[in-house]
Amino acid sequence: MDFATLAAQLNAGTIVPEGIVIVTILLVIVGDLIVGRSVSARWTPYLAIGGLLLAVLALYQRWDSTSPISFFGEFNADNLSVVFRGIIALSAAGTILMSIRYVEQSGTSLAEFLTILLTAVLGGMFLAGSDELVSVYVSLETLSISSYLLTGYTKRDPRSNEAALKYLLIGASSSAIFLYGASLLYGLSGGETRLSAISAGIATAGLDQSIGLVIALVFAIAGIAFKIAAVPFHQWTPDVYEGSPTPVVAFLSVGSKAAGFALAIRLLVTAFPLVTEQWQFVMTALAILSMVLGNVVALAQTSMKRLLAYSSIGQAGFIMIGLVIGTDAGYASMVFYLMIYLFMNLGAFTCIILFTLRTGTDQISEYSGLYQKDPLLTLALSICLLSLGGIPPLAGFFGKLYLFWAGWQAGAYPLVLLGLVTSVISIYYYIRVVKMMVVKEPQEMSDSVKNYPAIRWDLQGMRPLQVGLVMTLVATTIAGILSNPLFTLANNSVTQTPMLQAAQKPAVQVSKDETVRLPIAL
Amino acid sequence: MNLAEGVQIVSFGILAVMMLGSAFGVVLLGNVVYSAFLLAGVFISMSGLYLLLNADFVAAAQILIYVGAVNVLILFAIMLVNKRQDFVMVPRIWIRQVATALVCVGIFALLGTMVVTTPWAIVTTMPVGDASIVKIGLHFFSDFLLPFELASMLLLMALIGAVVLARREFLPEATLEPGDADALTLPERPRELLTTGRSDSTIQ
Repeated sequence: MDFATLAAQLNAGTIVPEGIVIVTILLVIVGDLIVGRSVSARWTPYLAIGGLLLAVLALYQRWDSTSPISFFGEFNADNLSVVFRGIIALSAAGTILMSIRYVEQSGTSLAEFLTILLTAVLGGMFLAGSDELVSVYVSLETLSISSYLLTGYTKRDPRSNEAALKYLLIGASSSAIFLYGASLLYGLSGGETRLSAISAGIATAGLDQSIGLVIALVFAIAGIAFKIAAVPFHQWTPDVYEGSPTPVVAFLSVGSKAAGFALAIRLLVTAFPLVTEQWQFVMTALAILSMVLGNVVALAQTSMKRLLAYSSIGQAGFIMIGLVIGTDAGYASMVFYLMIYLFMNLGAFTCIILFTLRTGTDQISEYSGLYQKDPLLTLALSICLLSLGGIPPLAGFFGKLYLFWAGWQAGAYPLVLLGLVTSVISIYYYIRVVKMMVVKEPQEMSDSVKNYPAIRWDLQGMRPLQVGLVMTLVATTIAGILSNPLFTLANNSVTQTPMLQAAQKPAVQVSKDETVRLPIAL
Repeated sequence: MNLAEGVQIVSFGILAVMMLGSAFGVVLLGNVVYSAFLLAGVFISMSGLYLLLNADFVAAAQILIYVGAVNVLILFAIMLVNKRQDFVMVPRIWIRQVATALVCVGIFALLGTMVVTTPWAIVTTMPVGDASIVKIGLHFFSDFLLPFELASMLLLMALIGAVVLARREFLPEATLEPGDADALTLPERPRELLTTGRSDSTIQ
């Protein structure tokens, strides 16, 4: 095999977006090295955001590519992976907007933070498209190790150290378990590492009912469930979310989770079609536990970051409804909800960072009476929280509606009813925060709000925070009413992905026209 | 490498006894330094097993990486944490130990059953032996190119991350404009390290 044919066979054009991210990482490192820390802090974040947006643009051009398989089957750039990679890149762009001032204020350097964050994005983007066990594992580790480093980034804060250590230990053991499952798959299939070849190999060897396959499935799910923080693999979430820097939490709860869901869909659908009923059963159990535990425990929280940690566990439970029903509409509703979740969760975290920067606390009780002092922050946080709770006409309502509608169509009635009940519970704790901010009388104001500093957007690094706040606010508000483009995108990403179409069970196929007409019928 | 059947069985037996003995030592011994050295014994016997399987490169990599790097790192960590601390025995510790033993035996039984009952597809072709390095290299630069190259980004990031975690912190006020640093505040920053000296840094 000579070089020219090798280069042609690689089909490397599919990873141009990732290439752009890599070039951005190198520019940020070298630029920071040359011009020095205080000067580089003024332009590296914008360079990183520009690189990420350029990567999203490059992804847009690769939509519907005719030859998505590249690197000898290592990477599959189908439409589903394009959507997930876009979500991950956008979540990082939003995270950078909110992190500029935060990182400066916490007394750590910005360029290294950006480098590690962008590498996490790179790992997540490769994970969303990896179609082979070695690629899956290496990209999973790239994402995980960067996440551990980001979690411990404010190293002078003991809570951050604790969070990083817990995350590292639990993460390392879960990825070891995942690796064990992957090695079992390799052995059972007779030495195959490509996901599609694995299921074929296992079927040829006649091992489709063997105990080994079930054990491999359980081990693989343990690794995935750790990434998406599904109960009972969620134990790290509250402590890590509370201890780590807030922008990192925003990325972990959106970008890293989206990468986990992309891996879940690809691995479970492609490598485990022989045990579909079993994995759907296990994921149903995880979804039920996540919805119940996440939303019920969130009721008792007093810290805003911890509240959002438990709420994100609950939200992962809702998204898993779309995964377990295994229909076109189910996968499309997952993608749709993740896109909306991106805006509303990033918006909520931007608001928390702004409040923390101005008052130095994130206790929920300290938010009381904020409306009198900062109407914009109150409005944005209220909209994002109400949208997370699923109040119409905000974006989150349509996301949840689509998820539940898809579940109802597929006949998963108990799961949908449980989802409805737990989302009512979740509305209670979201509204509690909104009530705290809005309806308190001036004399009931908390001390932090009484001492609220004058609102200045002209300080260094505050303008991007404002831009992020307004953009997520607008997106969360109108993405519900004008959701058709996002909706079509989510549907197309599923219906035009060969992997999901091949795995469809004809009995539960949902008519496409009905799916597309949904928002108008509302 | 072709050893006679008898030699293979005998060396397998010796390696297995070595490995199990040192593995039990790692878990059961009270002194952490002994455990760390015995861990090296586990790794070395494992690389002996790889040699028996005709996987020379993996055996060499096992010794270089696990014994040479990971285990030495563990020993360094033990030496640098130079803190004598007397362990207070937790009351009813045996409940935990019994529970751990039960879980481990259970998992071992499950995995053992699985390994025995599964009809594995055994490769019948002769292993390449000494030519394995060439073969691994070919794979790295053809069908495993993507993870191979991605690993370089992973290592770069790990390098930067290690530097970030290990370097001495210099005080950051110089990066913010005067009067700018104390306009906002964060709980993440330990107060005693502030150079401005004003502990309540919110302005009215």
